Amino acid sequence: MPTETPTDKAELDRAFSELYRAHLRDVYSYSYYRVGNHHDAEDLTEQTFLQAYRHFERALRESNGRPLRPWLIRIAHNLAANFYRDRSRKPESAIDDAGMISSPHTTESLVEGREELKTILDGVQQLPDDRREALIMRFALGMDNREIARALGRSDGATKVLIHRAIRQLEEEMSDSDDR
Amino acid sequence: MTGDASHNLSGSTWDVERLLGDALRPIEPPERLSGRFEDTLSAVTQAAAEELSDWAEELSESELRALRDPRNWLRPVVAAGVGGAATGALVLLELRRRGRGQTKGRLRSVANRVRP
Repeated sequence: MPTETPTDKAELDRAFSELYRAHLRDVYSYSYYRVGNHHDAEDLTEQTFLQAYRHFERALRESNGRPLRPWLIRIAHNLAANFYRDRSRKPESAIDDAGMISSPHTTESLVEGREELKTILDGVQQLPDDRREALIMRFALGMDNREIARALGRSDGATKVLIHRAIRQLEEEMSDSDDR
Repeated sequence: MTGDASHNLSGSTWDVERLLGDALRPIEPPERLSGRFEDTLSAVTQAAAEELSDWAEELSESELRALRDPRNWLRPVVAAGVGGAATGALVLLELRRRGRGQTKGRLRSVANRVRP
């Protein structure tokens, strides 16, 4: 991404195209894991980039050369919150097995692996919203603590604690389910 | 389930981070999404441009004519001048009032000193 704010419209549009190409997959992945289906994920991704386009010049100016990915994810996060509020619902279904489909497995481990992944995805769905989102950002988008902190509007320290607690909670729940 | 193989060395917990890495894979957006976004963006910018152009057209028929008339430029200048003059007059009046007050005060003190 350019570090200086483009001055004319064409330059600004070029910079935006670059941002779009660089982060389409991130925004789509985040949206998908938030809403749980491809149809709504497409809508959410489109709305995120439209809103980003409207405020792009200002965002570039105020970012001081820092990456804009957290800003984009924050837009998607806010829009997803509105999405749930408007429809008064949570995701229709648990996150489906999109991740599992693309995971490389040997034939022998396939069935067992899928079961493990299903258990962990179910666990992720049961987490409080902020913990679930932090894990999506960390594992699906590969964001570091600082980026996640910026996207969630928290401090780096609070984000580190949030992720740690989310993982601990999942570990405990999976151990409990193993004991049953 | 793979059971023990999925547990950490302590045997008490799952290797949750590895599982999360496997389960939460990035999702490839459908190819049609880029085309769809470009279409929407074009429609939005086109609509914005038309709205701006409509606004400019409306303005050119009524307000723009008035704005172009130099007689209308004079009004704000006169208004500012009148406002400035009125303010100046008020300041002068206030200074004179204070000046008179001070003179009266000085006369009173002289009179007091002269009195036995």
